[in-house]
Amino acid sequence: MIKFWLKRVKQGILTENIEFDYELESIKKELKKSIKAKFAGSLAIRMVDSGSCNGCEAECNALSNPYYDLERLGIYFVASPRHADIMLLSGLVTFNMTPHIKDAYEQMPDPKWVITLGDCPAMESVFDKTFAIKAPAKEHLPIAHHIKGCPPTPEDIIRGLLEFLKR
Amino acid sequence: MRVIAKYAKDLKTHFEVITVYDEEIIKESISKENPKIKTVMRKHPCCIWFERKIRDDFGIQIEDAFDKRPLLHHERFPQDIYPMRKDFIQKEIDFTDFVPYIYETIGGDGVFEVSVGPIHAGIIEPGHFHFSQAGEDILHQEIRHFYKYRAIEKMLEGKTLFEAKKIVSRISGNESIAYQIALRDITLDATKMALPTSLRVEHAILLELERLIHHFTDLGFIPNDAGFASALAYCSKLSEDTRRVMFRLTNHRFGFDTIGFEKLNFDIPYLKDFMDKLDKEIDFFENWIMDIPSLWDRFDSTGVLSKENAQQYDCVGVVARASGIAIDRRDNKFYRSYGFEICTQKSGDVGARFQVRLCEVKNSIKMIKRFIEDYRQNSMVLKNGDIKDGEYFSFVESSLGEVFMTIEITSGKIERFFVRDPSFINWQVVHRMMPNNIIADFPLINKSCDLSYAGNDL
Repeated sequence: MIKFWLKRVKQGILTENIEFDYELESIKKELKKSIKAKFAGSLAIRMVDSGSCNGCEAECNALSNPYYDLERLGIYFVASPRHADIMLLSGLVTFNMTPHIKDAYEQMPDPKWVITLGDCPAMESVFDKTFAIKAPAKEHLPIAHHIKGCPPTPEDIIRGLLEFLKR
Repeated sequence: MRVIAKYAKDLKTHFEVITVYDEEIIKESISKENPKIKTVMRKHPCCIWFERKIRDDFGIQIEDAFDKRPLLHHERFPQDIYPMRKDFIQKEIDFTDFVPYIYETIGGDGVFEVSVGPIHAGIIEPGHFHFSQAGEDILHQEIRHFYKYRAIEKMLEGKTLFEAKKIVSRISGNESIAYQIALRDITLDATKMALPTSLRVEHAILLELERLIHHFTDLGFIPNDAGFASALAYCSKLSEDTRRVMFRLTNHRFGFDTIGFEKLNFDIPYLKDFMDKLDKEIDFFENWIMDIPSLWDRFDSTGVLSKENAQQYDCVGVVARASGIAIDRRDNKFYRSYGFEICTQKSGDVGARFQVRLCEVKNSIKMIKRFIEDYRQNSMVLKNGDIKDGEYFSFVESSLGEVFMTIEITSGKIERFFVRDPSFINWQVVHRMMPNNIIADFPLINKSCDLSYAGNDL
């Protein structure tokens, strides 16, 4: 373990030293400010997958890696809809998931918002409509914001959350 | 004999049920009036889901089955609708009254049930796990999936192979390159074209890169589920680095829509440099992680799958290899000549699955280095030939295991598309890993298999 800590000290902090441009740095600052003002310091997100390819989930997981480290901005992925301010909804809203999504939304405390993640929930992805798909999500839940992409990159997601907070 | 897949087709006059074994393919004709088949689930338990799926898709009854519950069609799905029949053309169905699903449970004094999902605590895909518990000990677990059922098979019918590409790319994000290669092989077969080696090498690099990304994620998440978070920080960095390399090479972080018949021409010095770095990183990681006793205390003898059980369930991929079954679709002349070595372990526990992944990461890095030596820059566009009608099969080893894809083409269009993700088989064996484990170890066991929900549910 001592070797690990030596390497860790030598490596330094990755989050601030990578090829992020200044623009993104300023976005992050702004983001931190608006979270503080609107959500008393922390924004709790419940990620719900309603039938995606797992790409959007992989990118959300990437938000916690040392390069993006979303949590330092005060944005957390929480374990239950009951802890959440925002539902981040990905996927095609399948027939089998639709009742569960509505259920999760009902469990969220007010005030609450739904943000759709990726092209699927807006029915803008490459998938065709079938009997098993109930997208677009706006027919089932009030959608406050949409983050485009297939899948949206971690940067897109951070930017998208900022746009939502700005409004 | 190993069962690879079992599926059905709606031919105009009758149904056909096809069982693909590793040694032969058996086709049965079933009359459309009162369609029924005999089950093979007693001999091949992995056929339980295949046969339940056939019943839901086509309305073919499984006569002597012990499990006749619906699989794809959940509580609110209309009864007596068989969507894979050709005469089903609806684009919209309505929710019906709730018909409860009867879970497999164990009763008794003090035995209780725990149900988990479909929406889980982490950022993962939806699925349901139903436990029968005696205190902390798991007595039995039933896995129920198909929450992500998008009806991909039906969606692709009537499309050309070219039109299908974008959708096939996105069936399972973690295995996108593998799925695209499976479709590539079918396209080559249908147009009677041969694949030039330089293009094959290029695609093989991408497939190994995808395997690296996925394995790195797992090598981080498995220790994380045992409470060792620094491994996740380390590996998620490597995974992100590799994903950025994927972006550099293909212009997409997951490599969607990249496998085609046009050469991409990679930046080889950059790739070589990265592989050298990765080599050192993974050596460091191995030395460090193998030497943490508290972690291996959790890994060893947790979630054991015996070789007998793995064979009985016809397991594939990392799960099979960790239980001592040497099965890998890359075990051929092409890959061997680039340094492929099969990675197996005997103990079949979480530790074994972790070590198989670690071994495969090292082998993939070694192979990519050899591929690079053989890499030729050239511009090449293969022209699409005429697609000949027929039935085509292909196999690819994704990061999870063997992907099997079959497409039947009639008048240039897809008549029947079927793909079997390695997860479809492996999900069915997960409950055999549960006895003698406590429920707190379930996330660790589940993550050590890291199966796909999207590829499974289609």
